[in-house]
Formats: sequence, structure tokens, C-alpha cells
Amino acid sequence: MNITGQLAILFGVCLAAQCIAALLPVAFPASVIGMLLLLGLLLLRGVRERHIDRVCGFLSDNMSFFFVAPCVGLLEHTDALLDCLVPFFVIAVVTTPIVYFATAWTIQLIMALRRKKGGKS
Amino acid sequence: MIEAFLSSPFFGLTLTCGAWCAGLWVQKKTGLILCNPLLVSTVLIILLLVSLKIPYESYALGGDLLVLMQTPVTVMLALNVYQQRRLLGEYFLPVVAGCLAGSLASIASVLLLSWLMGLDGVITASLLPKSVTTAIAIAISESRGGIPGLTVTAVLIAGVTGAMFAPLFARLFHITDPVAEGTAIGACSHGLGTAKAMEIGKIQAAMSSIAICVCGIITSVLALFM
Repeated sequence: MNITGQLAILFGVCLAAQCIAALLPVAFPASVIGMLLLLGLLLLRGVRERHIDRVCGFLSDNMSFFFVAPCVGLLEHTDALLDCLVPFFVIAVVTTPIVYFATAWTIQLIMALRRKKGGKS
Repeated sequence: MIEAFLSSPFFGLTLTCGAWCAGLWVQKKTGLILCNPLLVSTVLIILLLVSLKIPYESYALGGDLLVLMQTPVTVMLALNVYQQRRLLGEYFLPVVAGCLAGSLASIASVLLLSWLMGLDGVITASLLPKSVTTAIAIAISESRGGIPGLTVTAVLIAGVTGAMFAPLFARLFHITDPVAEGTAIGACSHGLGTAKAMEIGKIQAAMSSIAICVCGIITSVLALFM
């Protein structure tokens, strides 16, 4: 499929996701709804990989580019950031190994239990 | 002339594209994680706007057009999960349980430390999704009343920390399973960590990219209860 057709599918999923998000009684990100919607369409073969591969490849390769503008938006909030610079930095750094530890050990324990169960049977 | 220049959306668009190219060049030359194009291009644009006293609003006329692409950029992550569906199916329970534990640990630790350090609600909401990929983090932050710019900064700090210290974390916490190692890297440091996981091994890289999407979905759901 040509690139405009691929864009039409992707934008169409985004539009549907924003409509669903507007109908929800809670504030849930439309982008995550769209991700689940597209995954469902791919699994149900409503959309094929070849229908979106070129546009997704481009967006995936240049993903961070689309976050430059929100980062520059920090200019509008420098006072808020400077007021809490040290705790902000400390929290962002310190919580990273905590997340790593919780994730890795949960998986490692489940995998060990699986192996133990598999070995017994 | 100057007014026409600054009031055009092409000013922000040209500046962003140019700074991004400069960021790519700096990373290629240095190879340092800290010199990633997002950080370098942001610093360059801020320095230019501040030094030439150009109002942020002039930049935002074009910059905001790129912000519109955040939703499609998140939505396309579904293709990544779809392509890794066999691997995800094989390790579904451990990966989902691990990502749930990681997301809960992230939210709980941010809430606890923010409360101990006396941070206000807006800053806490900005920090809350710092472990998930930028596209999803911004959406969660905005839905909780956070500041997108602060969220992106927190996401970058987490990403750089994870990418730099992932091998050290594995040794320190005695992580020997490649599935656990890869998923943990993706859960704590998203895309930047995945780049590091690619250097460590194929399983680690694949699991890390799966973890980005799974953690994003789980954190979005958990944030509803905050």
C-alpha cells in the first residue's frame, strides 16, 4: 500500500481511539486505546502488517524526533523545575534500579518455579 | 521581515528538524548515551531561543504541529508487539507479572519519595509515568494533570540511568535469566534501555521492546487509580 493509504489507516485508528476516549467516563490516554485497537485489528487480520509497515517503520526510526517540541516546552516551566530540581533528579534516578529489581526478580522467580514444576513432572 | 519570520509555523518546524539533524550528528561522532539526539536538539533549541530572546510562542507555532504526531507514534507501537507475538506468547505470564511488578514498584516509589520530599501534585503527576516510553508517558502525565516537558525530562533521566547501568544492575541483583534481564531493562528505561539491550543480546533486545508496550499499557491502567 502507498504511504498516504498507510497514513490514512494510522490516522483513522487515532481518530477512532480519540472518539472512544471521549466516551469513557475516566481519563484514559487515547494513544494507548489506539495502540490496543491497532493490535486487535492486526491480530484479527482486519489490518495486515504490509498495510502499515512503511509508515510505522519511519515513525519507529524517528520516534524521539516527535518529542523535541514537548521538551522545549520546558522553557515555559523552568520555575517549576528549578524549584524542585534536586528531588526531581533524585527520584528519577533512584526509582530506576527499584523498577529493574522488581521486574527482573518477579520474572526470575516465576521462571524458576516453572522449571521446578517442569522437572518434577 | 523578522516578524514574518517568527510568526511562521515553518520557523519552529525548520528549527526542530535542523536541531534534530545536529543531534544525530553529535551522537554519531561521540557515541555517548548522554549525547542522544533528543537531549542535544532540545538544548540547542532552548539555547537559541533564550540567547536571541525569541518568545517560546513563536517556536510553538510550528513545534505544536509535531506534538500532534504523538498519538500516531504511540499507536504504531502495536506493530512491535504484533511482530513479537510468538515470543510474548511463550513468556506471557512471567512478562506480564514482571511488568506489573515493575509498574507498581515505579508508581509506589515515585509516590512515596515525592511525599517524603514534599513535592506538589503537579510535579508528582509529571514524575509518575517516568519509566514508560515517552509517547505513553506524556499521555498519562497530561491525563493526571502533569507537565509534559517535565515528564519527558524524567523519562530521559530514567532512560539514560537504565542504559548506562543495566549491566551493573544485572550483576548487583544477580539476574542471570536473559528474559528477566531484557524485560527489566525495557521496564525501567524504555527505548534508551532497549538500545543497550541490543548490545547485550538478541533475547534481551526482543524482551525489552515487548516490555515497553506491556508496561505502557499496565501503567496507563494503574494511573487510573491514582
